[in-house]
Amino acid sequence: MSRSRNSSKIKKIVCVILSFILSLFLFVLSIGVVLEATIFNSDFILENMNSSNYFVDKKDEITRKLNDLGYASGLDDEFFENLLDEIMLTEDNQEYLNDYYDGKSALIDTTRFKQTFNDALDKYIEEHNIKNVDSASRDYLVNKASSIYRLSLEIPLFYRIAGYFKALKNIFPFILAGVAVIIFIIILIFVFSNKWKHRAFRYVSHASLGACLSLAVIPAYVLLTGQLQRINLTSRGLYNLFVQCGTNIMIAVLFCALFFLVVGLCCVFQHNHLKKKVSSD
Amino acid sequence: MSDKKRRHRHKNSDGKSFIILPIIFLVGTYLVFYLALAPTFGSLVSAVGVFFSDNDKDFSTEYENIYVPVSENSTIPTIVIDDKNSQSDDGEGSGNSNSKKVYLDNEAIEYPVYSNMFGELIIEDCGIDTNLFFGDGDVSLRNGVGVYGGSFIPGYGKTILVAGHNNTYFNGLKYAEKGQKVVIKTSYGNYEYEITDTAVKEMTDGSAYDLSADYENLIMYTCYPFDELGLTSKRYFVYAKYLTGPPIDTRVKEG
Repeated sequence: MSRSRNSSKIKKIVCVILSFILSLFLFVLSIGVVLEATIFNSDFILENMNSSNYFVDKKDEITRKLNDLGYASGLDDEFFENLLDEIMLTEDNQEYLNDYYDGKSALIDTTRFKQTFNDALDKYIEEHNIKNVDSASRDYLVNKASSIYRLSLEIPLFYRIAGYFKALKNIFPFILAGVAVIIFIIILIFVFSNKWKHRAFRYVSHASLGACLSLAVIPAYVLLTGQLQRINLTSRGLYNLFVQCGTNIMIAVLFCALFFLVVGLCCVFQHNHLKKKVSSD
Repeated sequence: MSDKKRRHRHKNSDGKSFIILPIIFLVGTYLVFYLALAPTFGSLVSAVGVFFSDNDKDFSTEYENIYVPVSENSTIPTIVIDDKNSQSDDGEGSGNSNSKKVYLDNEAIEYPVYSNMFGELIIEDCGIDTNLFFGDGDVSLRNGVGVYGGSFIPGYGKTILVAGHNNTYFNGLKYAEKGQKVVIKTSYGNYEYEITDTAVKEMTDGSAYDLSADYENLIMYTCYPFDELGLTSKRYFVYAKYLTGPPIDTRVKEG
């Protein structure tokens, strides 16, 4: 009698530990799924760029910088007014992001910008009847302008972390699959090791509610205290993009927490239902 | 213990476990991550901290103007210092034990920070009358001319290196000639300099200026040739010597 009570106690402790491990892996899986759907997804960044007016802000920013270059090189503000268009910015950016996510060299291609700039410069020289233009000074100007364009569109530190990013992106689906398998095995253990099925639901509900709490803590803290707004970025476009992406990621994590809350409550309900059934039997 | 009581207690502990265990799991989850990252946790927090600050975000391209012209009746606190050990302009000690000099009180001056407009630079003979900024960044050169941040402000007794664009505010430098007067007006005093020389040098030529000079001198420079389309690698330097203006007490206070 005492031996069976002891083994029942040990079984209960093992189940609670397994429940904790399940909660931990549910947390990891949720974060992984959110990352896979957001940071590791080029469409996510592009969608956020469009909705946060990134290209409008970037166009203004680059035009302002080019205006400053104009003061140093004898070009008036009018020259830069219609030099950039958002379509060119969007396409160059899209290409840059696609290359980055494909693991190719993540550099903004300035070929089209240089062509546009040179064409506009030829027109300006003709219209203003400028006779003497030193080719070295002109090349220097074009290169400087394209460098401003490239640096303004590149996302800081993206190039530096490209190697790690690609390696992680490649192995990430396997990690998630591995975690999912472990979760499945733990649930099977609960189901087959407990004679009374309501106990299996109890352990799963503990794990789900634990994962729900663990997931909810980070976005609740970040969103309520406005941590994302504290980022140091001098570019308005990039700042808005970061805050929007960060907020969307936090909301996605909150949704995962909500999902586990619902799953946990369903398990609690099912647990109570089955337990009542067992008691009445 | 009766069966009813046991069942009631069991039901109660079951209910509590749905609250207590998830909370324990929450703490456990973060504890596991903390222990896993413990060796790098401090440096990780520091690295992330670099990217965040509590400063208000300001994306405006406006500048702060701290320049208030000195009026005739204004009184700026001064200090009288016995200058018996000071060197004269020709590098010889004055040797006069009674030579006392009036300096501006260091603490009474509002020092400009980067991109602050803190004065005016005027060269009447060249048609230049422009805002003077501290720092030669985009905001400064868009709105006037700027003192290079690695040089000094007027009155400090060192080199003042001023940059400006040749197509805008420093276009008039092409008319600069020896003997012409340069006036710099600041909130703490007005200064006068006299142009001594002009020169065209490569932008990489470090001998074009001496930032370690221990006498007050003004160097203005812009791109060369003037009115040319494009960016050039040459710079046009205008050198001027100090004539008048209140010196600042630059002694380091103890304590």
